[in-house]
Parts: sequence; structure tokens; C-alpha cells
Amino acid sequence: MSELALVIEDDEDLAEIFGQALGAAGFTVEIIRDGLAAQERIKQVVPTVITLDMHIPHISGNVLLDQIKADVRLSKTSVVVATADAQMGDALRGVADLVLIKPITFTQLRDLTFRLHQNN
Amino acid sequence: MNPFNSLSKFLNRLTDVPSTDPDDSRRRKILNIILIGMVTAAGVTALWMLIIWALKLAAMSDVSSILVPSTVAMISCLIVYALNRYWSGIVASAMFLISLMYILTLTDTPHELSSGRSIYLLAIPIIISSVLLNSRASLVFWGLISIQLIYLAQVAGDVVNIPAIMSFFFLAIISWLSSRSLEQALRDLRVINAELDQRVAERTSELSAAFFRETIEAGRREAILNSIADGVVVFDRNGLAILANPSITSLINKSQKQIIGSELNTLLDSPELKAGDRGSLTALLEKSAKDLSNFRVTWGKRTLSVNAAEVRDDANRSMGTVAVFRDFTREAELEQMKNTFMAIVSHELRTPLNAILGYAEMLKEGVYGQMNGRQHGVSERIMTNTQRLLGIVSDLLDQAQIEAGRLKIQMAPCRPAELLDNLRGVMDRIASDKGVGLVTELDPSMPPILIGDSQRIQQIMVNLTGNAVKFSEKGSVRVRVFPCDKNSWRIQTIDMGKGIPEDALGYIFESFRQVEWGSTRQHGGVGLGLSIVKQLVELMNGDVVVETEMGRGSTFTVTLPLILPE
Repeated sequence: MSELALVIEDDEDLAEIFGQALGAAGFTVEIIRDGLAAQERIKQVVPTVITLDMHIPHISGNVLLDQIKADVRLSKTSVVVATADAQMGDALRGVADLVLIKPITFTQLRDLTFRLHQNN
Repeated sequence: MNPFNSLSKFLNRLTDVPSTDPDDSRRRKILNIILIGMVTAAGVTALWMLIIWALKLAAMSDVSSILVPSTVAMISCLIVYALNRYWSGIVASAMFLISLMYILTLTDTPHELSSGRSIYLLAIPIIISSVLLNSRASLVFWGLISIQLIYLAQVAGDVVNIPAIMSFFFLAIISWLSSRSLEQALRDLRVINAELDQRVAERTSELSAAFFRETIEAGRREAILNSIADGVVVFDRNGLAILANPSITSLINKSQKQIIGSELNTLLDSPELKAGDRGSLTALLEKSAKDLSNFRVTWGKRTLSVNAAEVRDDANRSMGTVAVFRDFTREAELEQMKNTFMAIVSHELRTPLNAILGYAEMLKEGVYGQMNGRQHGVSERIMTNTQRLLGIVSDLLDQAQIEAGRLKIQMAPCRPAELLDNLRGVMDRIASDKGVGLVTELDPSMPPILIGDSQRIQQIMVNLTGNAVKFSEKGSVRVRVFPCDKNSWRIQTIDMGKGIPEDALGYIFESFRQVEWGSTRQHGGVGLGLSIVKQLVELMNGDVVVETEMGRGSTFTVTLPLILPE
């Protein structure tokens, strides 16, 4: 049974890259394109990894991030944050487990997230 | 009007004889003075006699011996005065002197006059003659006096007084010479005066011509200044505003009267000018630093571009500063729009390019199925070209940001070793494809960690190395990182390529400039690489220099300040 990775990303191409990378890293991937739907989903499942694009529409990435961090069930979940803004990235380094500055390549993503497996 | 003044005025009118010859005028005036004096003395004497007679203190017979000569003397003097004033000074003086000679002989006996105590009286006409007449007159009168002496000696039965005649001769000579030198001096003085007058007249007309020209010039200058649409303020050496044209008043909301005569600080003391801008503007105007030209300040609702230049005279001394203020509001808005546009466009360009890159990479990695050799190669080609395109977009955005002054250098710890490794990661493939070797050298005395903007330093390395490889056909490119002294370190790229022509050295660091090798552009690129390197290096307070030799290669050396972590 492989671990779940939740990809919260609205851009179709980025979602594909994230999805494939996490898949190649050995995770089962679920992609959610809408922020509000994501809010609901994280209450239902306990993924090993959540990748969060800070620039999704309809909801602030920070709000979602806070919600994830506040949820006791998700305390063991690694949060990977993706942003194009280097300064936002600096600010999030304490909160997220991994901060990625876009653009991020497929191979880098695959190799980095491989290390997030819990059952090693 | 005190009585002394009016008396001297009256006397002047009495004694002055206007004449075209100033010497003549002077002589006649002197004669008049003597005559008036004598008239007065004779008149007083006669009056006194009359009074005595009237008071019955003496009889007419006693009085008359003095009264008659006095009256005669008075009348004669008046006649001579009239002659002197209305006819000829020479005749009057001659008459006066000859009369004087005769009268003197009446004052004593012939014996005393020719050889005794009164002989010296006869010197008087000799001396006076050179004053009243031509300076040589003293010699003439010496002759006359000598004849008189001989006659008097005859009458007295004495021997002719030769020594006296000789002495009188010398006296006449002295009178003549001193009178002559006085007159010469007076003449010289008159010549000098005339020359001075002439020069003053010339100077005055020169000055008035110059003044007239100056007025016209000033009028012209003012017309020019008034028609300039930009605001112009001229400050003198001490920072006082001495000139302001009308256009400045609408830009900074002060009237010309308020500006002219006020000091720099007063001028900049406006609520519409922010403190930070005020400080920089003061620095610009006080020092006219060249690197602060095209300086922008926000003044009220407007954005002004300020340029200042020092004015120097022919001897290269500072005369003051000229400051030109241009309303840059529209241009600033346009620039702002352009930058926003650039940011949006670059984001819009980069997003799909990154997507293409991502898919090509995934294809290559076999995510969508195993690739054969050729498919693998093709996906790499897609990646390379996409990266090249991304590079150009990034360069364009960097250039726009640098120009807008918005590119910030982030100082953080970075590792030179890592930078060189990353450089290899990017450039190895490109260099080997071209058949050019790539050698990186990290000097062992280089500190392992230093403070800098690793992204931008990486960019500098990549740009320089990329150029070095691009312009080499063979050999290898060396990239060296080494400390220069305890305060700076260097990145150096050494290639064995074609070299850079000397005239190109002047412009290779300019934006969008490339060295033209014939009419075909073999090497591609948009010409931003070196200009970005230079601007980044300058933002880091470093510098970049190039040494080159045609056919042998080029060496680019970047020197940066060495900042170590605490």
C-alpha cells in the first residue's frame, strides 16, 4: 500500500509535472485543482505529502497552510510549498517542510520528494 | 552763501581774462591781480590823505605831494587794466613794466640807485617781466635796466656798476630758465590732460557700446531662457539662486521672485518634496555628481527629472551650477506601465515555457514510456532550445528591472565551490557540444563561504562563460575563482577565441550591442549578456575589465568585494 500525496494545484501543466514526479517518487497521487475542494478533502484523508501552490485561486494559500498545520491529524504530513516569489518563499521556510521556488524541474521534484517517504 | 565766497567770486570775475592761449590768460590774470592790488593801495592812500585834509590835520600843500602821485598811480593802473582786459596783455604788461622802471628811478637818488642801497629795486622789473611776458622777456628787460643803470651812473657821476649789471644778467638768466621750465611743465600738464580726456572719451564710448551689446545679449538670453519649456535654475558658487526661468515656477510651485536670491536649502524646503528626495537633490545640486544625473524626484503630484552641471570659466574655476528640471510625470508613468507590462509579459512567457520544459524533461525521463535513442535526443533538443528561450526572457526582464532600478541584490551566505559546480552543470554539455574544453579552478585560499547574491553571481559566471564558449572554436575556457587581496575576490574567464576588436571594446558592455563579425550573425543572442554582467557587478560595488588580443583570446575579470560571514 503506497502512501498518498495530495497535489493542490490549479495549473494543468504544473499539476501534471507534480503528479508525475510524485508518482515517480513512489506515491499514489491525488490532484485537486480547486482550493475550496482542497479544504474539504484534507479533512477526509491523511496524506503523507501535501504539495501546495501558494497562488491557487478562490482561497489564500496561507489560509490553507494554516489549516493544515492546525489539523492534529495532519501533524505527520510533510507540506511542500511552491511559489514563484522568492521573498514569500523565505517567509515560509519555517512553516513548510520544503519550499520550492518556481520553476521547478521534474527530476528535482522527484528526487526531493522521494525523501519524504515515511515508511523507510 | 557766505560773504567770503561772494568776495572771491567777485575778485575772480574782475581778474579773469578769457583768452584762447592759456599762458596768455594766466599772465594777464597775474597782471590784473597786481594792478588791483596797486589800485587798492593807491586808492586807500589817496583816501587817507583826503581824510587827513578834511579833518584839517594837514594842509593841502602837504597832502598833495602824496595825494597827487597816488591818484595818478590809481588812474594809470586803471588804464593799464582796461588795456589788459580789452585789448592786449602784451602791450599792457610792457607798458606796466616800463612805467614801473620809470617810477622806481623816482624813489631814490641816481647815485643810490646805480651803486648804492636802492640798486636792488631795479631787479624787480627783470624778475616780473618773465612772469608777465614771455620767459625771455627777462633778458630784454635786463638790457633796458642795464641802459638805465648806465644813464643813472652818468647822471650821478659814478663809474658804471659792472658787477651789478653782471649780477642782473645772471638774475635774468635764472628768471628766464625758471619761468621757461614752469611754462614747459604747465604745457606738459595740458598735453597729459588732453590725452587723458581723449582716453576717457574713448573708454566711455567703448563702455557704452559694450553696455549696449550686453543689454541686447541679456535680452536675447532672457528670451531664450524664457522659451525653454524645462525649468532652469542657476546657482552661484555659494548656492544662491541667481537666475530662474518662468517654466520652473509651474514645476515647483514657487514664483521667480521666491526663487531668485534664495539659498538652495530654502528652495528645497517644500512640503511637496519628501525628505529622502530632498537629501539626494541637495547632494546632486551641491556636487553636480555625474552619476546622479537623470535623477528623479517626486515633487507634489509631479515626477521631475533633474540634471545639474557645473559651470566653469575660462580658467576652469567653478562659477556655479545650472540645474534643469524636466517634467517627467508622463515618462515616469510610461516607464511604470512598461515595467508592469514587462513583468506581466515575462510571467506569461515563462509559464508556458516552463511547462514545455517540464514535459520535455518528463518525456526524456521515460514518464510516458521508454524512449528510444533518437526520441531521447529529440527531447533533449527541445529542452535545450526552451532553456535558451527562457534565458532570453530572463535577460530581458532583468534588464528592465535593472533599468527601473528595481533589481535588488540579496546578500546571503554562498559557497564558491557550489557556484562552480552549478556552472559546470549548466555549461559542460554546451562546451563539449562545441568541442571546447571547460576548466574550473577554485583557488585553495578562497574562503569556503562568503556573503553575496548566489543567484546573481551564478548569473555572472554563466553569462561570461557562455560568451567565452560561444566565441571559441577550439582550445578551452578556463574559469578561475581566487582572492585578490583581503578585501576582494575575482572571477576570471579566459578563452582562446577570436579576441575582441579594439573599437568594439568601447561598446561591448552596452545593452543590445554585439560585435559584428561580417554581415552574418553567427552567434545569436540579443546582446544583453555582458551588459547585465556589468550592471550586476556595479550593483554589487565591483567592477569588470577585459583584456583581449585579436586571434589569441580574451580574459574577463570581475572583481567583487569580499564579505565574510560574522
